[in-house]
Amino acid sequence: METKFNSDERKRIREGIKEKYKRVAISPEGKFTYPTGRAGLEGQKYDPEILRRLPEDVLASYCGVGNPFSLGPVNKGEAVLDIGCGAGVDTFVAANMVGPEGRVTGIDLIPEMLEQARTNLEKTSSKNVTFKEGSAEQLPFPDGTFDVVISNGVFNLIPEKGKALRGVFRVLKSSGRFLLADQILMGEMPGDTESMVTNWAR
Amino acid sequence: MLNEAGFVDVELVDETGFNSSPVTKGVLFRAKKFAISDFGRVEMEPKDALSKYQEFFNAAYAEGTIDRKTKHLIALGASLAAGCGP
Repeated sequence: METKFNSDERKRIREGIKEKYKRVAISPEGKFTYPTGRAGLEGQKYDPEILRRLPEDVLASYCGVGNPFSLGPVNKGEAVLDIGCGAGVDTFVAANMVGPEGRVTGIDLIPEMLEQARTNLEKTSSKNVTFKEGSAEQLPFPDGTFDVVISNGVFNLIPEKGKALRGVFRVLKSSGRFLLADQILMGEMPGDTESMVTNWAR
Repeated sequence: MLNEAGFVDVELVDETGFNSSPVTKGVLFRAKKFAISDFGRVEMEPKDALSKYQEFFNAAYAEGTIDRKTKHLIALGASLAAGCGP
């Protein structure tokens, strides 16, 4: 069930996320309970052949919670959207999969993460990648743009999940697939909204 | 929630083992926009369905080891044998 937040609560949630990921943009190391960087990628069994093609300091930016590419193939020539791309590691992995005829777009809310993504882009040979600042709740793309939407550890941070998911549905082509790695809450939802807002991005 | 957004074939495929807190779990979900239904009917937007069928039709009747005319005659014979009236 989705909790409805008022505009002040949404603003505070967004600021909490920005505050945390500003620091993650510098380095994810030590900021998560699970392995990040190359250890995280290897732990989630990313294709070693693709990892070999990416610079080590780009791989170091990885802080995903799973491997969306383990959910099915991303094919040559396809158009892919990475929602909450962060520093872009999954975006570059997708770019390797779709090849020069395909294209990959990464979107993120946090300017510092995108700055890191663009720095990383310069270190890779990817010509088919673009990064864009924006919210998953208001995807700035026309209907039916992408063959595949991926996202890794992001939807749990989105206050209006229903709206964001309808947006994913809208921007996918009719044959489109959504490959999602994320965190789900196993216990009870916190009883009060204040505690949810305060702990949102922790 | 994915179903509510319109997705079909929504699957919780696996756990990732990367949990960000003691009360959350890393998981993998897969979902499709449209799917081949139980009736074998391809559910897609009509214009896409038509163009896909046209692609199939053109491929099936393309000149090959068997020429186009013979393929059409075989299809006609098969449809009469299956009881498909004109």
